[in-house]
Amino acid sequence: MRWSQALGRFFNGEKVFQLTLVAPLQLLMWVLLIVPTVIVVYLSVVGWQPILGVDWWQAPFVGLENYLRVLSDARFWEAVGRTLLMVVFAVAAEFALGLGLALLFRAEFVGKRLATSVLLYPMMLPWVVVGFAFYLVFLDRGPVNYLLTSLFGPGAAVDWFRYPTLAIATIVAADIWQWTPFMFLILYSGLSALPKEPTEAAMTLGASQWQIFRYITLPMLRPVIVVAVVLRVLEALKIFDLVYIMTGGGPGTSTESLSLYIYRVGFVYGQLSYAAAMAVVILVGIALVTRLAVRSLELRLQGM
Amino acid sequence: MSGGPQSSQLVSAPAAELAPAHARRGRVAGLLAVVAAFISLIPVLWVLSISIKPPDEWLAYPPTLWPRRPTVTNYQVLFQVGNPVGTIAAMTRSAEPVMPAVVNSLIIAPIATAISVAIGTAAAYAVSRYRTGGPMMPFLTLTTRMFPPVAFAVPLLVYYRSLGLIDSRLGLVLMYSAFTVAFSLWMMRGFFDGVPRHIEEAAMLDGASPWRVFFTMSLPLVKGGLAATALFVFILNWTEFLFALIFTSRQAVTLPVQVSRYVGAIGRFYGPQAALGIVASIPPVVAGYLIQRHLVRGFTFGLVK
Repeated sequence: MRWSQALGRFFNGEKVFQLTLVAPLQLLMWVLLIVPTVIVVYLSVVGWQPILGVDWWQAPFVGLENYLRVLSDARFWEAVGRTLLMVVFAVAAEFALGLGLALLFRAEFVGKRLATSVLLYPMMLPWVVVGFAFYLVFLDRGPVNYLLTSLFGPGAAVDWFRYPTLAIATIVAADIWQWTPFMFLILYSGLSALPKEPTEAAMTLGASQWQIFRYITLPMLRPVIVVAVVLRVLEALKIFDLVYIMTGGGPGTSTESLSLYIYRVGFVYGQLSYAAAMAVVILVGIALVTRLAVRSLELRLQGM
Repeated sequence: MSGGPQSSQLVSAPAAELAPAHARRGRVAGLLAVVAAFISLIPVLWVLSISIKPPDEWLAYPPTLWPRRPTVTNYQVLFQVGNPVGTIAAMTRSAEPVMPAVVNSLIIAPIATAISVAIGTAAAYAVSRYRTGGPMMPFLTLTTRMFPPVAFAVPLLVYYRSLGLIDSRLGLVLMYSAFTVAFSLWMMRGFFDGVPRHIEEAAMLDGASPWRVFFTMSLPLVKGGLAATALFVFILNWTEFLFALIFTSRQAVTLPVQVSRYVGAIGRFYGPQAALGIVASIPPVVAGYLIQRHLVRGFTFGLVK
């Protein structure tokens, strides 16, 4: 039994123990992150379209052609602009509403637990279902138009999905509805974790509610706000499901988000190499845009 | 949270004076909160209402929140039980059966969750106790959540084509475990960090192997956290749409994809589609309700304390 003893001692060594614990994750990260990154960069410099019957490793090298095409692709840049627009409006509204609700929920009231549950549930729903719900609500003959006509007369009904601006507004509304709870959750927990002494001291000194909020609560809450907004922005940049189900990018391509455009180019039109080039461009873009945000996140991480 | 005796003395007088104002604020807040909660129910109440309406009421105008003739026909059509009558029965024949998607989701989401949580928990323990992999390792795993999934889908298609994993449950299971493992790692790390180390250290000094300590002491201590993590990861796996849309077509279609394409040959099939949406929402909403109290930690990776 010397073998098994040796084996046992080997696996019980602390170093081996640690490595065994992280090995599956490392493997997954290699398979999922490192190798695909290499593949996507490779695909972006060749001309691969599966429909042509050529395997990906045999596709001809085209250098930076795909990237040059991205640069001059109006539909791509419109999708970029549109996605940023949606993110700005959605996250700003989510932050304002989330903070408002968080401040509201600091008070004690009857049914608080139930109200919290109800408020949080939009987050759990499949995005597809949220999109479908908003599609139905904003439909021609749906409740929103009914409400509008009963308030402002028969001329007030709007064909929401026919006009680009309005269609985008409905998508943003769905995003706000689904993710305000997330903002609320983080900000509320941040608020409840703040030390009470500074506020109480300011109160005894006769500071007004607004002064307390502006000069004490808000500054103390800043790190939490940064985390909430950064997480939400990163998530909102991926917007796909809501657009796909509500407008399908239409009318025309006027509500197409970045993810939806790349999905179409790669998986509907079958131009995998061109989709790869766009993927690389947005990977780099997101990495750069979030660099600053990540720094502030790291500060928080080290505090853990 | 609590100040010392000094600070409580300091505020006792003003706090007593403020009591009526505080109570009033509580009532106003309660009212507003109820309004907000009700508003947040409307879209799904609407879907629920359409799911129990007969075809002529799907788009009836003026719309009725409570159907004039409530019916379970849409659900019957969906699961092809009983004998639904009328126009809807004719439409039924043009729609795909949904049971395969239900079964797929019931298989894929839990298995992917188990794999993700197992791998993430093991790594989280190593990170929490030994800082294995350095400070960058946990952070690097987060990049899988930072970038749009469509950017990963392009190179993964190459993998999946050569491995024959397209339109297979196994393919989605692997993908889902991989893309949720970052959450498992970060949530579990938070829970392990909250467990005092001295118990484990004492057991180690008594000669217990690290495996024994891990399985018989540390893991039971974070049971609650483990459950919360699993439920949260399950919600992510259950609701995922983009990968399922791209990598499945017939065999491995999941519920969210089925909801998106539940359209009859004769126009939109709103009633049954709404019913399917409700069915697809039940498991994650239940899971969400169960972990409500742990959610903050889950979403913020313990950043907010």
